[in-house]
Amino acid sequence: MALIAVILLVVFLLLGAPIFAAILAATMLGFFYADIDLSAIAVELYRVIDTPLLASLPFFTFAGYILSESQTSQRLMRLSQAIFGWAPNGLAIVVLITCAIFTAFTGASGVTILALGALLYPALTQTGYQQKFSLGLVTTSGSLGLLLPPSIPLILYGIIMQQMHIGGEFDFEQIFLAGLLPGLFMIFVLTLWAFWANRHHRIPTHTFSSKEVLSALRESIWEIPLPIFVFAGIFGGILAVSEVAAVTALYVLIVEVFIYKEIKFRDLPKVVTESMSMVGGIILILGTSMAFTNYLIDAEVPGALFEWVKAHVDDKLTFLLLLNVFLLILGAVLDIFSALVIVVPLILPIAVGYGIHPLHLGVIFLANMQIGYFTPPVGMNLFIASYRFEKSIIELYQACIPFMFVLMAAVLIITYWPQLTLVLIQ
Amino acid sequence: MSMNSENTASLLSRLHTGLVQTENWILVFILFSMILIAVVQIFLRNFFGFGVIWAETLVRVLVLWTALIGAMVATRQAKHINIDLIARYASDKVKSVTGALANLFTAIVCAIVAYYSAYFVALEYEDGSPAFANVPNWLCESIIPFAFFIMSARYLIAFLTNLVQLSRKTA
Repeated sequence: MALIAVILLVVFLLLGAPIFAAILAATMLGFFYADIDLSAIAVELYRVIDTPLLASLPFFTFAGYILSESQTSQRLMRLSQAIFGWAPNGLAIVVLITCAIFTAFTGASGVTILALGALLYPALTQTGYQQKFSLGLVTTSGSLGLLLPPSIPLILYGIIMQQMHIGGEFDFEQIFLAGLLPGLFMIFVLTLWAFWANRHHRIPTHTFSSKEVLSALRESIWEIPLPIFVFAGIFGGILAVSEVAAVTALYVLIVEVFIYKEIKFRDLPKVVTESMSMVGGIILILGTSMAFTNYLIDAEVPGALFEWVKAHVDDKLTFLLLLNVFLLILGAVLDIFSALVIVVPLILPIAVGYGIHPLHLGVIFLANMQIGYFTPPVGMNLFIASYRFEKSIIELYQACIPFMFVLMAAVLIITYWPQLTLVLIQ
Repeated sequence: MSMNSENTASLLSRLHTGLVQTENWILVFILFSMILIAVVQIFLRNFFGFGVIWAETLVRVLVLWTALIGAMVATRQAKHINIDLIARYASDKVKSVTGALANLFTAIVCAIVAYYSAYFVALEYEDGSPAFANVPNWLCESIIPFAFFIMSARYLIAFLTNLVQLSRKTA
């Protein structure tokens, strides 16, 4: 009977039913068989409010939506172009840095490719970069920055980790500290790749102009404090992460609506409903999957899973390698939020059993998901880029595969060199 | 179509637009209140050395409300996260059949959750314990059955729309 129920669920999931509905159905079936009153579902859903980081989700998401609706991407590109554009391969570096910052704020929802890619891709090809390289660079950069503050997936991982009471007491800024060096490392590796891939091409650079730098600085004077405030706020220890998020949201709102005036007051309901329906979707699957996880823990599923894995996988190194393969496939099929809330509760206890630090697992998880965004055949950003740049999906596969291998190498280093993740925490 | 039913239809459509806009503005109101409460709280704590004890709980309850109303909006806009493998590769006809099944499934699941969480809220009402200040727990929780009821209704409407489309195609 239970088996039929599970098969039925998978069928509905494949038919396109929302993930939250499938998780709810699974949880209710579990409660039903365990003779638990179904009103426990409401208790479990309400428990979501016990999460201290919870408020940072709507605040940061709202700030990100406001930024992507205004002309921040143009100003960000102009500024970094003025600062780095003179260097060899400067434009490639500009792409990597602007996309990483923008994605950290807006989430890897594809908006980086839609908003920034549209500016960066023509700039790259006009400067003399090959089309294939430019396409791959812009598409790959669409998910770069997932490990940098204040990335929403990183916050979500922290929430799940805290819900599971694994890793003992930890401060939330530790999640961001853990992601910092691996995130910068990925940008560094891609920079090296940009130099290597263009070693036979001479790409003209423009001369450094302090006048242009000043002018670009003046133009984005109100937005420059933003990343600085987020960094100082999160790592400074005076404010809680959700307080940093609230101030960020208020500041962005004032700057874009009243100073730059790029978002009209009457457009606010649209921005609010779009961002909050996304937050609603995320918190709904978070709440339902917390209920599901509790059921699984009661049914001792993670323990059984660990025993099973332990019987087949002898050492930590093999486990990590298998984990990477599994996560890469997962990232290509499932969106990052569902993957986080469904899979982390299952693999976190196993990983800890193999002696892997919970925060290290989080970084490995997100780094793999980041690659999943542009892994053929179904990575989401491939479709978004194909639509945005009007290129066939096959062209995008070809353009992204070299970048995929470069980042896979980076992920292997991040995986087998835990100090890179943990050195800032210790 | 008689004049009367036309009037009714336009009245209904106006009512619908009105409700949808109310939903949007409630979301704006709650989000901006949350941001303000959180920011004022920081100022009070850092510059005046005190804070409102229950402000943090209030903000968290409001996050739940925002999330569930946001989920209602996501239902209306068919934007809930799902696996869209079939939607990407199947023909239109197959898509409306799978869509109908998925919508019916989700409507039923939401209805069950709405029913049992309403039962839970009723129990809490009898219990009457406060969440913070003088606000009782049941009031904070009441958004759960409400939101799931609305989502269930919206998925049911989506399912019925699928059926109408299907019957038109086969006719």
